[in-house]
Amino acid sequence: MPGAQVVPGGGSGKTEKYVDTKRKDDVRLANIAAGKAVADAVRTSLGPRGMDKMLSTANGDVIITNDGATILNKMEVLQPAAKMLVELSKSQDIVAGDGTTTVVVIAGALLKQCQDLLAMGVHPTVISDALHKAQGKAIEVLTAMAVPVELSDRESLIKSASTSLNSKVVSQYSSLLAPLAVDAVLNVIDPARPDSVDLRDVKVLKKLGGTVDDTEMIKGLVFDHKASHTAGGPTRIENAKIGLIQFQISPPKTDIEQNVIVSDYTQMDRILKEERNYILGMIKKIRATGCNVLLVQKSILRDAVTDLSLHYLAKAKILVVRDVEREDIEFISKTLNCLPIANIEHFRAEKLGQADLVEEVQVGSGSIVKVTGIKNMGRTTTILVRGSNALVLDEAERSLHDALCVVRCLVSKRFLIAGGGAPEIEVSRQLGAWAKTLHGMESYCVRGFAEAMEIVPYTLAENAGLNPISIVTELRNRHANGEVNTGINIRKGQITNILEENVIQPLLVSTSAISLAAECVRMILKIDDIVAVR
Amino acid sequence: MQENILKDDALEEKGERARMAAFIGAIAVEDLVKSTLGPKGMDKILQSSGRGHSITVTNDGATILKSLHVDNPAAKVLVDISKVQDDEVGDGTTSVVVLAGELMREAEKLIAQKIHPMTIIAGYRMAVDCARSALEKKVRNNKDDSEKFRNDLVNIAMTCLSSKILSQDKEYFANLAVDAVLRLKGSGNLEAIQIIKKCGGSLKDSFLDEGFILDKKIGVGQPKRIENAKVLVANTAMDTDKIKIYGARVRVDAISKVADIEAAEKAKMKEKVEKIKAHGINCFVNRQLIYNFPEELFAEAGIMAVEHADFDGIERLALVTGGDITSTFDNPESVKLGHCKLIEEILIGEDRLIHFSGVELGQACTIVLRGASAHLLDEAERSLHDALCVLAATVKDSRVLWGGGWPEMLMARQVDELARKTPGKKSLAIESFSAALRAIPTIICDNAGLDSANLVSQLRAAHFNEDSTAGVDVITGTVGDMEALGIYEAFRVKQAILQSATEAAEMILRVDEIIKCAPRQREERMGH
Repeated sequence: MPGAQVVPGGGSGKTEKYVDTKRKDDVRLANIAAGKAVADAVRTSLGPRGMDKMLSTANGDVIITNDGATILNKMEVLQPAAKMLVELSKSQDIVAGDGTTTVVVIAGALLKQCQDLLAMGVHPTVISDALHKAQGKAIEVLTAMAVPVELSDRESLIKSASTSLNSKVVSQYSSLLAPLAVDAVLNVIDPARPDSVDLRDVKVLKKLGGTVDDTEMIKGLVFDHKASHTAGGPTRIENAKIGLIQFQISPPKTDIEQNVIVSDYTQMDRILKEERNYILGMIKKIRATGCNVLLVQKSILRDAVTDLSLHYLAKAKILVVRDVEREDIEFISKTLNCLPIANIEHFRAEKLGQADLVEEVQVGSGSIVKVTGIKNMGRTTTILVRGSNALVLDEAERSLHDALCVVRCLVSKRFLIAGGGAPEIEVSRQLGAWAKTLHGMESYCVRGFAEAMEIVPYTLAENAGLNPISIVTELRNRHANGEVNTGINIRKGQITNILEENVIQPLLVSTSAISLAAECVRMILKIDDIVAVR
Repeated sequence: MQENILKDDALEEKGERARMAAFIGAIAVEDLVKSTLGPKGMDKILQSSGRGHSITVTNDGATILKSLHVDNPAAKVLVDISKVQDDEVGDGTTSVVVLAGELMREAEKLIAQKIHPMTIIAGYRMAVDCARSALEKKVRNNKDDSEKFRNDLVNIAMTCLSSKILSQDKEYFANLAVDAVLRLKGSGNLEAIQIIKKCGGSLKDSFLDEGFILDKKIGVGQPKRIENAKVLVANTAMDTDKIKIYGARVRVDAISKVADIEAAEKAKMKEKVEKIKAHGINCFVNRQLIYNFPEELFAEAGIMAVEHADFDGIERLALVTGGDITSTFDNPESVKLGHCKLIEEILIGEDRLIHFSGVELGQACTIVLRGASAHLLDEAERSLHDALCVLAATVKDSRVLWGGGWPEMLMARQVDELARKTPGKKSLAIESFSAALRAIPTIICDNAGLDSANLVSQLRAAHFNEDSTAGVDVITGTVGDMEALGIYEAFRVKQAILQSATEAAEMILRVDEIIKCAPRQREERMGH
């Protein structure tokens, strides 16, 4: 192996050369190899012509995706360094939501360069420090290239969302999904906090059947199950008054254990009657407030509703949606602008939400309950995703999530940057020039970083079936002539000004990909031993 | 024929063999951690053999050692001193093990020369006293000059952080840590500094926040912002107040009676909420769950109720807001409520957290760490914890030394002189002690890939001069002026390293027999 044989040069104390024991080198090289292997596994899914992976999980489920974070998450790697790359992809997912493949591919390329540098005998901490500097410089370059964008500029937002969608399975629907994602995010921005978006306010609901074309955004609320049909309950209510209840309409149950003792058959009748009266009493109270739609929270301690109570509710012409999860209560209460009610005694008209229409709709094989025309609706949005099979549906959801994240990035950091490998080539060029002004090992390391950045356009071209070498060299050439926005136009298979082609992405995606990848690689470099512990 | 005194399975090692086992164990542990020493020290991956094979990336000596499987008694002693060092001063957990290991290495040579362990111990004792007094003579104390003292603190923090993952942003984090510690106003109560880790962003996005942050959600329909809050911190059941006698049950003969009991239970809960409201509070934080029913009651009363705050969280909250943790509510007068100026919901990354600002205990603050991955954050927390510990120790004992191998070289020189003056075999042990001290700068150089023999000898020459401030400058790979470079260390840390390492070495040297008790019949899982 190289690396181990390097002798300290010059004999002076000033050398940055690095000699280490064989074992430590082995650990580091093994880590780098593992990291590269992970990067190679996802490399082919980068870009609009990237391929998908079929993942078959241990319990026999099949997932088709080209979302880097999802692929890595399901891979179940064991090698510690490989695990760190999986984590890296997760972090990118949290920070930017998109570019989860890019970040791993960049990290893989950086690791490869590090391996060469280590073989030259450069001390790992020197490489690590240089990577940090280069990463800082790279972000400067990217920021300088970026174009500011206003949230009112809907066109640009849609373009960047479609850039993200174009690399997915659902790319042919990007003209539909992109505006949808933009509207959904813009809809939930809180004017008090214009810089942040909580994506939990956008609810994405999947429903099998139809095609992705049928995906729609609903200004209102959707429940993923049907209304109660017991005893012919209503399924469509106009001018609805909606109550969100957290108590149960069922025979009473105490917290301590209780027995009802029946000693003769007359008592049986009485008990049955009492039960009926008890429930009827509750329903009368509900009815008295004018409530005609009831959302019932799921209960584990006892039945939330019984057949008997459903029967009476149906008689009272109240539409019932049951099994509402406790986690959803906050979202529902925010959307409907109503308060959850935890006790029948507190059931008052002012706690109800109001909507023009609540109805059960047949969607594909199942049905859903839609609430529309909500008065004083909160800042939430629901997107109903449709797809012809479960695999497409799941992938559409993941793609939509990425697109939503892209728009969110633009809300928090309002800069756009060109796509198609243009920023990476530009970073590579400028860092390459900068490396020449540096001294010592640092110069080599920065140059290594610059070379590693070329992996993105190289892979884009390769995945699109173009000649990567000629494309990358031509790109370099164009950029050297000052055309900073030239990138690979995959659709035409040539090099064009990528900004004109509307291939744009948020600045945050690129900057966080580079800084996260560099941070991860630096961490892997500094490891010299793997210790088994309890 | 020897009589069996011990049980069948018990192992006994005597004399030479016992000592040999001790040396091997100690040196092996030292070798394991020594590559993490210094600003160019490396990290280790700790791969858990437990479920999930979770991994930790660290270069914190204490963290590495305490997660090891160790079966050698001498190695266990070293693991223990590293733990003690961590508890006492928080930093220098690797150094203490390395110094103890080096002392053992030297002792091994002396033993080979047939010098009695007790003589070695006596020599080591003389040497350690001499080394300590040499350090004490050279300390500087800027306690009275707050400007200079702050500068000292920042430098100490930077030196401490430069060997950690935060080294790139050490200036930023050093200032952050100093600010946090100075807020404590000398109390040294690190409990009041809370560290919250949130994935996402980069390390530079970390920040210091005055006040307290609780990683929980506010109940539905309750105010999200409260000014001049009166906080009641409680640990009470807010789900059901049921009779907790095993087997207790109610027997009734009608549904309506069940309903009555249910209503009574509800009324009891309502009464409890009323009692809580009677405290005149507008924020209620409970360690246990708050069910829908009381949650709604609180919402109606306009009280912010936070459920399921973890134990750590409520203890800190009680501390910083100056309230008590309450579990009965009958005497509102006698309950100390917590106060703070403002409670609001804030957004960090993707998560909503509750922020208490303007708290009673003005010292309290929260450091929010941001970083790429969970591993990075964990390691950053450990690094920052070390820095905070050192700073807190320095605030208590403001004596400061130079770093970068300067204290070791200084001590070595004084110890060498002592050796020359001392007659008898002890002098050999004293000489060995100084060699062990010099091993620390040697290892720092070796880890940085520098020519250690050359550098350390240069350093020794420089230290022949009485007032030298020379130490190893690892970045340029030369002997440098520690004062100009701002490489400082806390006296307390050095003192603790010196003493616990010597004591550990002494303890191991005294051993001449190792008895391993027979394992208990029902085999426990290994590693304990």
